[in-house]
Amino acid sequence: MTLRLGRHDFDDDATLMMAIVNRTPDSFYDKGATWAEDKAFERVRLVVEQGAEIVDIGGIKAAPGVEIDAAEEKARVVDFVAQVRESFPGLVISVDTWRAEVGRAVCEAGADVLNDAWGGADPELVDVAAEFGAGLICTHTGGATPRTRPYRVEYDDVVRSAIEDTVGYAERALAAGVARESIVIDPAHDFGKNTFHSLEVTRRLDEMVATGWPVLVSLSNKDFVGETLDLPVGERLTGTLAATAVCALAGARVYRVHEVVETRQTVDMVWTIAGRRPPRRAIRGLQ
Amino acid sequence: MRVVLVPGVLALLPSYGGLEDPVAELRSACLDAVAWLGAGPRVVASPQGERVAAYLCGEVVSRLAPLAPQPPQALAAPRPPVGGVLVVANGSATRTEKAPGHLDDRALGFDDELRAALTAGRPGAVDADLARELWADVDGLVRLAQEVDVDPASVSVDYDADPFGVQYWVMRMEGVRR
Repeated sequence: MTLRLGRHDFDDDATLMMAIVNRTPDSFYDKGATWAEDKAFERVRLVVEQGAEIVDIGGIKAAPGVEIDAAEEKARVVDFVAQVRESFPGLVISVDTWRAEVGRAVCEAGADVLNDAWGGADPELVDVAAEFGAGLICTHTGGATPRTRPYRVEYDDVVRSAIEDTVGYAERALAAGVARESIVIDPAHDFGKNTFHSLEVTRRLDEMVATGWPVLVSLSNKDFVGETLDLPVGERLTGTLAATAVCALAGARVYRVHEVVETRQTVDMVWTIAGRRPPRRAIRGLQ
Repeated sequence: MRVVLVPGVLALLPSYGGLEDPVAELRSACLDAVAWLGAGPRVVASPQGERVAAYLCGEVVSRLAPLAPQPPQALAAPRPPVGGVLVVANGSATRTEKAPGHLDDRALGFDDELRAALTAGRPGAVDADLARELWADVDGLVRLAQEVDVDPASVSVDYDADPFGVQYWVMRMEGVRR
């Protein structure tokens, strides 16, 4: 399906790199490396140079921690979105928030996409996306409360749950007026899931792709990779790329990443193996 | 009778296309020459070379197909004659260490002599045994020489390079059937 993310359109066969830009002092991977606004802006400039089509700006880490109210979240992201919008008009700006109030403010500042990593916790977020013509990422959390860790969560069938919830969310968004081509679904690895759930979602991602909704995957350096390989944060790139390859073969369209270059190469390679993309330049044996 | 020589480079075929064209300059030269040749040329080539020729001829036809009604002056413009010959052949594939057939010290001399013969209107003046050893595809040239007397003064070279250690030429020439 053709993607329309705010001001930007992408072809049916395009894969997109969504680079994570944290305006937080405590996110699990970068541990505040881009907390300062100038550092966050440097990160945006870097990932644009590396070829990212989207930046996903977040003002609250996903894990539990100090409570960040909407005012503080807006203080962290709204002006920054405006600054990025002005400097990078061709860049898709996504904001990782579940709050409609924050969503409205960032859309007014120029955001193109609302990445609702907490699966519709604020039911008014879809109305904001519709009002501003923004894209919307519909995630599956199994009904988890924002910023909580999974605890003894079980599913009869985690993939069926992910499909039912994300497609249901997508249809609510559609009914609220969000454009069909602006809705993306995300199984949300690790969110409301133990490692076995995230592995199964990865293994059966083709079932989500078969729904016809474009699929986003957020795999980068997550705990399911770490637990699978018994590796700490900082040593999970290879495992992340292996999971990325499996999702790419299944047909995921958007990849939320820390490492843009490595993920782009992995996705391009798999996409080409799958026959969806030609090689960059082929001459071997064809001279 | 118009005659065009192009190399049988498989990278010209759309089925081997990439995001970037590694033979863009060669492709352009081939298409210009085949357009000059005119519609429906007879092809002198190996079976693999015939595929390259078919692609080039088809591409020229599709590019020449009018997208809109032609103005009267376009209809009155001279059209290429029919009945030309498209020859698919090339020089050695052993010109460098990275060449498909690796480096053979005889390759440069062989290609120089073949170039001289072609521009002198003597396409059949080639050592077929040495050509095989140097991975050169010259059968089409020998067959051309058996069928057509080429006018040496008519020969022009549109492309002459060995970007991958293989000697390519795109040439236009005129001659009469024997």
